[in-house]
Amino acid sequence: MTEQWRLLQTGFTNAFSNMAIDKAILVGNSQGVVPPTVRFYGWAPPAISIGYFQSLIEEVDIQACEKFGVDYVRRITGGGAVFHEKELTYSIVVPEAHPAIPKNILKSYGRICGAVMKGLHLLGIESEYAPINDIVTGGRKISGNAQTRKLGIVLQHGTVLMDVDVDTMFSLLKVPNEKIKDKLISDAKQRVTSIHHCLGKEVSFKEVAGAMKRGFEEGFHVELVEGKLSEEELGLAKQFEKESFSKKEWNYRR
Amino acid sequence: MQSHSIYKVPQGKLLKISLEYDKKKNVITNIRITGDFFAYPEEAIELLEKKLQNTVLDRVVLLDTISSLIAKNHIQFIGVNAEGLTQGIMMCRL
Repeated sequence: MTEQWRLLQTGFTNAFSNMAIDKAILVGNSQGVVPPTVRFYGWAPPAISIGYFQSLIEEVDIQACEKFGVDYVRRITGGGAVFHEKELTYSIVVPEAHPAIPKNILKSYGRICGAVMKGLHLLGIESEYAPINDIVTGGRKISGNAQTRKLGIVLQHGTVLMDVDVDTMFSLLKVPNEKIKDKLISDAKQRVTSIHHCLGKEVSFKEVAGAMKRGFEEGFHVELVEGKLSEEELGLAKQFEKESFSKKEWNYRR
Repeated sequence: MQSHSIYKVPQGKLLKISLEYDKKKNVITNIRITGDFFAYPEEAIELLEKKLQNTVLDRVVLLDTISSLIAKNHIQFIGVNAEGLTQGIMMCRL
């Protein structure tokens, strides 16, 4: 019988809630009260997330974010700053001991990215895993990914770019050297792509989610069964949002 | 003395070091390691920063100290390593 995992489609929520929900699922899964879970979500309002090790004030133009109504939040995962706007974000939460998850961290990135690549294939986009944490098509990045392992559980979340606005992104992020900002923007435009750009048409969030659902099912040989956050997870998510992700102490800690 | 460095680790990530050090004694008084790398467990970075206080600013000593801390605390870095961290720190030495 095919193993069943939970699928959560939590819609578009703010940055603090999004990061709190991912962490709540991780904790819920570690307590054995919820099954391995794949979640699809979006960001409203748009947001910048930074990696756990990054300095918020060095990476993010806070004033610009506030002017444009863009949230900013520190993730519990490493990696770089991401502008989340026109994208599908996925997260996967599964025990480290699960046979589908390689012990080797880089290999596990490759395995999970493989599911995303299958989803992209179903949309008509051929892509490949570009270690450490990217998926590229035609040499250009279409997905960035970040993984943590805590409490014996793997949490990986990542973006699937549906469209990309490099100019807006650079108006919200700080660059080490303002003098070469124009060059950085033109380089980034060459390095990044999106589903819209690849296919020459807009694809809806729902359609991307449908393809990604099948991609994860095929990639992990499981059936994803639509479910909801448990009461306990909802409580944890509220707690994490209130106590850390929305707090200055967390977001400015580095 | 306060100093900063930005170092792109070969085949790795961007490492940013903010360093305060005692120039006379040539020891680190405070260090903050930031960047877009990965470390497992993540909280190990704070431990590393704490343990590097009072370490001599010398390439050999630093590499040895960082390598030992990584091994002893079972830290797994991705996108940066002991050599990269040492290089980033040494670049702060004016």
